[in-house]
Amino acid sequence: MFGAFLKKSQLRSPWLLHFDCGSCNGCDIETLACLTPVYDVERFGIINVGNPRHADLLVVTGTVNPRNAVVLKNLFDQMPTPRLVIAIGACGCSGGVFREAPNVLGGVDKVIPVDVYVPGCPARPEAIMDAVVAGLAKLKGILEADQ
Amino acid sequence: MKTLALALAGLVLAPLFGGLAAGLDRVLTARLQSRLGPPLLQPFHDAAKLWSKVISPASPWQGLFVRWALTAALASAALFASGADLLLCFFVQAAGASFVALGAFCGSSPYGRLGAQRELFQMLAYEPVLLVALLCLAKAAGGFEASAVLAVNGPLLFKLPLVAPGLIFVVLVKLRKSPFDLAASQHMHQELVRGVYTDYAGRDLALIKIAHWADVAVVLWICALFWATGPVQMLLAGLVTLLLALLIDNISARLTWRVMLKVVAPAALALASANLFWLYLG
Repeated sequence: MFGAFLKKSQLRSPWLLHFDCGSCNGCDIETLACLTPVYDVERFGIINVGNPRHADLLVVTGTVNPRNAVVLKNLFDQMPTPRLVIAIGACGCSGGVFREAPNVLGGVDKVIPVDVYVPGCPARPEAIMDAVVAGLAKLKGILEADQ
Repeated sequence: MKTLALALAGLVLAPLFGGLAAGLDRVLTARLQSRLGPPLLQPFHDAAKLWSKVISPASPWQGLFVRWALTAALASAALFASGADLLLCFFVQAAGASFVALGAFCGSSPYGRLGAQRELFQMLAYEPVLLVALLCLAKAAGGFEASAVLAVNGPLLFKLPLVAPGLIFVVLVKLRKSPFDLAASQHMHQELVRGVYTDYAGRDLALIKIAHWADVAVVLWICALFWATGPVQMLLAGLVTLLLALLIDNISARLTWRVMLKVVAPAALALASANLFWLYLG
């Protein structure tokens, strides 16, 4: 019974860490809009934390370049397992319109494994919340496979 | 046998009540901000989730300090519930609070260390006020045992009017509420990331949370002793104190540690001491 409660709690309390790789702030504003009274993601137990050691979800917006790739990898490595990564917006998914720029490596998945991709420029708050739900479904699968 | 049963009840119920208080806090705060907020049991889900996370500690000493902090917090709750000496409970509680800061000093995060320093400043501010409040309680009740305070007829609040504001200050600091949420940067205050809790993660953070709940229950229980005419009245007194703290949290901006240490703490201490003198003279 205790094990079942632990597993249920992992799906009920996703704390997210938001990292802006090189975003134009469009996707950041939409991500933070999820926390406002209009969308209120705390309903689902989601809290925006500033500490990778406390986070379960890494939400990344913007393109990756050689400088911030180091920070991104460092943040990911500090997160406890099991962890999920959500790439937000066209830039986070693939590099977007900056894909061919000389300093751009591409999407988030060039540096760390991504679990859910959210397209859009910028991505809508509803789509971001849907991505968290999809991520939690994936986590549920991982937890059940571990058993 | 009865004492043992009471101590066991305190051991189990203190974290439970503290967790429920944290849940109520989050729901009410959300409602005050026109949000729906998380379920009432969300803090328990958070703790259970943290428990099942896998992460290596920031320092090998941290796990030890976390467990000592939890032991001290639970011991002070059990001692209070069993009607033991108020001063003993106070010092055990203070030891638990200092272990949290010591564990944070072991880590490598500058935010954690700054948070730990602020935690020590907070202790410097509220511990004397809490001590004088307990001395006042003991003087008014005629004995240092918690059971003696419970046996008094009629509410003690009317004998201790000047202690009440000081105790509200203690509650705000202990519950990590604005305007004194300096060490932990709880909730949406994130200028120190998570302050004294920054380096704690996973299972250690879950245990620290449980210790904090037990601490909160003990402080609210001390407040409830001011209206200890029956179990229902005590529960209501604790609830009223909690609601007052939540209201102050939601309507006030934060002060700096200097204001807390140089202005608010001396004022609270002076008021409580004046009440103590009045009790001795009267």
